[in-house]
Amino acid sequence: MKHDFEPKIVAFVCTWCTYAGADLAGTSRMIYPSNVRVVKFPCTGRIDPVFILKAFQKGADGILVSGCHPGDCHYMAGNFHARRRFAVFRKLLEFIGVDLNRLEFSWVSAAEGGKWVEIVTDLTQKIRKMGPLTQFTDLADEEQWSGALSNPELKAVYDQV
Amino acid sequence: MNNSTEKAEQAVTIDISGYDVATAEIRSEAKRLLTEKIVDAVVGYQAGRRKGSAVPVIITDPAQAEKLLFSPACVNNLSIYLTKAKKEIRAKGKLAVVAKGCDLRALAGLVGESQFKREEVVIIGVSCAGVHRAGIQPGEPLTNSTIAKKCRECSVHIPDEADLVVGKLPPLPDLPPKEKELMEKLDAMTPALRWEFWKEQFTRCIRCLACRQVCPFCYCEQCLCDRGRPQAVDTSPRPSGNMGWHIVRAMHLAGRCAGCAECERVCPMDIPLNLLNRKMAEELKELYHYEAGMKPVEKGPLTSYDEKDDQSFIK
Repeated sequence: MKHDFEPKIVAFVCTWCTYAGADLAGTSRMIYPSNVRVVKFPCTGRIDPVFILKAFQKGADGILVSGCHPGDCHYMAGNFHARRRFAVFRKLLEFIGVDLNRLEFSWVSAAEGGKWVEIVTDLTQKIRKMGPLTQFTDLADEEQWSGALSNPELKAVYDQV
Repeated sequence: MNNSTEKAEQAVTIDISGYDVATAEIRSEAKRLLTEKIVDAVVGYQAGRRKGSAVPVIITDPAQAEKLLFSPACVNNLSIYLTKAKKEIRAKGKLAVVAKGCDLRALAGLVGESQFKREEVVIIGVSCAGVHRAGIQPGEPLTNSTIAKKCRECSVHIPDEADLVVGKLPPLPDLPPKEKELMEKLDAMTPALRWEFWKEQFTRCIRCLACRQVCPFCYCEQCLCDRGRPQAVDTSPRPSGNMGWHIVRAMHLAGRCAGCAECERVCPMDIPLNLLNRKMAEELKELYHYEAGMKPVEKGPLTSYDEKDDQSFIK
């Protein structure tokens, strides 16, 4: 089926669980949208909120962060730390005015190929309905002082020149 | 920020006679500490070049103790001079520091982060009724229109945890909070409107990084935001990078910032930076029942975890 808008979704995943889970989905020949770009990390604890920010600024329409279920972390507690960090980061983004529907978190284990397919499919459909995210990319196109340059005094000076 | 409400408010002058008492006590205490060689240097305030102004000073000679003072112009948070990043100050030896209640919260945070040991520093606490806000002519009286925003909602007028407390607290007028009001206004907005608000604020930012320079908790030797390869945040003062910088700043201070609002005071573009810090503090209190700077703790809310933490936002 052809759609008007194909969202770009970046998935930050941990190598031990979600990456293996996505792999399982592939080897099991399950079908899921190709909108998702998987970026592999050693652990969800390695995923800095800056990466999310950067992905948004570079044109991602949605972001998925996924790792091991609590208690399953290869490094014992990486996902527990990540859980707190992202709980707070979400609140910060919300306060800045970013729609949190574009940012999804999930626990997907190495055995949950089906859950991975489900999450990616749902997120893709949701973002597709929401349309492209232009907040961050518009900001990149804007110049400093762009608003202030239109004031009457500057206009008068400009006209004189 | 809001001039109309400021004018509507009736003028209230705050009694600062206690500050003269504080000045005398700081001087005698600094003299004693230096003569008895309990400390090697005292970090405090001295008069600035303009009448009524005050600037931070570090004295090592007991004879210089007469220079120290406390006045409404003593706005700086001196705890920044105790961080490991200030190598030349730490080289002087054992330090004493003059601290207001709000500065003391930052000091507690720094102890928790192993920047210095509590027993290595003598803290001279000052009973503080409030200090000037940014942009006030030095020497003006302390009134409800010249007082800093943070002082309106101060809960630490008397720094109890200090080694000794100097000065006398006058009866305090009841000042309506300003920052809280703005926060409530923002919270009530839709995300799109909030984005517009912050976009306007951050677009003004000139990336002078005064907020970073003045923050006691921004002591990293190399800031993530200065790195070029890989570049986390665009370094030029343009809207996109500015947004990135302020988000990263708020995130890195979450759970650590004790709300001294120095970032907001030094901002030449009047960006309400403390709102972000305050928001993060509120969220951390709600999520993990944590308040920064109440007492030194080894692990903050974002460097520790509980297996039962809320994960309702995770699928």
